[in-house]
Amino acid sequence: MSIIEVNHLTKKYGTTEVLKDINLEIYQGEVFGFVGHNGAGKSTFIHTITGITNKSSGSFTIMGFSDRQLNHVKKRIGVMPDVSNLYENMKGLNFLRYMGKLAGDKRNKPELKTLMKEVGLEGAAQKKIKSYSFGMKKKICIAQALLGNPDLIILDEPTSGIDPESAIKIRDLVIKLKEEGKTIFLTSHNLDEIDKVSDRVGILSDGEIKKLGTPRQLKEDKGAGVTISVRTKPILQKDDIQKLSEKMNTDIIFMEAKRDSTLLQVPSEEDLPEVSKKIIQSDVHLYEMKIEERSLEEVFMNA
Amino acid sequence: MIHILTREFLESFKSVRSILIILFITFVSYQSATFIDSNPGLIQEIVKIGGEEGTVYTAAIALIVLILGFLFVFATSHDLINKEIELKTMRLLVTKTSRVQIMVGKFLGTLLFWVATITISFAVIFIISGSWFLKDYFHSFVFLFYIVSFVVLVSTVFTKSKLTMFLGILFGIALPILGLASAVSNNWYLVPFKYLLPYRYLEGSIALMFVPIVIGAFYFLISVFIMQRKDL
Repeated sequence: MSIIEVNHLTKKYGTTEVLKDINLEIYQGEVFGFVGHNGAGKSTFIHTITGITNKSSGSFTIMGFSDRQLNHVKKRIGVMPDVSNLYENMKGLNFLRYMGKLAGDKRNKPELKTLMKEVGLEGAAQKKIKSYSFGMKKKICIAQALLGNPDLIILDEPTSGIDPESAIKIRDLVIKLKEEGKTIFLTSHNLDEIDKVSDRVGILSDGEIKKLGTPRQLKEDKGAGVTISVRTKPILQKDDIQKLSEKMNTDIIFMEAKRDSTLLQVPSEEDLPEVSKKIIQSDVHLYEMKIEERSLEEVFMNA
Repeated sequence: MIHILTREFLESFKSVRSILIILFITFVSYQSATFIDSNPGLIQEIVKIGGEEGTVYTAAIALIVLILGFLFVFATSHDLINKEIELKTMRLLVTKTSRVQIMVGKFLGTLLFWVATITISFAVIFIISGSWFLKDYFHSFVFLFYIVSFVVLVSTVFTKSKLTMFLGILFGIALPILGLASAVSNNWYLVPFKYLLPYRYLEGSIALMFVPIVIGAFYFLISVFIMQRKDL
């Protein structure tokens, strides 16, 4: 069942099209990771589906409610905003109490302190938000997104700029929320993190979704070629690969020469026997040739 | 909405500016009421020439509201909407509740603060005179309703709080002059102010006093309309 369904969503600022004809479905109970470089449109997408900005065209539904009925469903969505959106002069606990009231959250002060502890803000309840570090501000943003026990949680770069220990804690929290049946929409620059927690990933570039699928599907995407590691003596260099490509009349891409091997990209697995044959014919000793699983980063770079 | 209203109302009391304004209005009301109370002959003279007893007691507060009302409300609330947009905290609010509820909450919270302020002054007058002058109280309410609606509109249209602070001073000085002048003059260039500003409606029948409320409500609806279309 779709929690979010986006159809031909477009957002323009003046003549600049920031989101271009986005079509996307996010299913109940999944962790959906949205990846994209700075300015790709990730935050604009979140702002548009949460009512912070108005769409230019297209439509979307959230939990069956259309974009025009978004107000009916706001209490069931927890949105983690940018840290710059906080009430800096409020104390942490008072901020959560105010946001909690707006979200229809019935938690009392001790329960809110427990929530702060869960996100790693123990002892910060009575401190003003402006005295918080960047990481602490991120954490209180996450805490306020969890108020009202929402079914859908939208987290905009929850771990960027925070220490590794806190990042792991937040990642564990995301996994725990998923286990509780929550749907999580997550954006991040940390591809490793997206890879670890997401059921599906969307790669956004220049306002368009370039790739969409499970992390495994994206990494195994045949259309993007196969990355192989070739251990030879002498080690194959860029010129050798270029010659090889010309001999085979196939696009073979030199990626990297390591200490004892070379990383190449060939169009498909079917090319591998011919590649090994040509390498041997070129008076090079071939010791090993293996398929390397692509990282999400490579998928992202090729998107 | 009630939570935004409550916060807006309580926060209004926390600024030094607001406290000074409350103290000023209350002090002037107290001083004028005790002066009138100790000079009963003055009341009789005014009643003889067609005035009302209540008008004598509430003259000071009426003058404050009519002449300084715009300036005072702008001084405390010129950034009611645009400050939250500037600080981007409005983004946080709209993820939790509707824009209409935010606007209504902020409008009512501010109005309630001003109603509370004049209620304190009328309570002081009541203690001294022994009467609650309902008609004058309603006059002040109507006027404040109009001003708060206008301030909300300005704060929604102009997104820079520094600009609305400047405009607030400008409007705070110019509008009472234009309003009072248009109420007694028939110059063509003052005609729009005669009908748009609340001054001329305060000396008519009770029904006429509802006109500024209707205009104020219209200003507020325009503010909501603009707010609905804003990218925050």
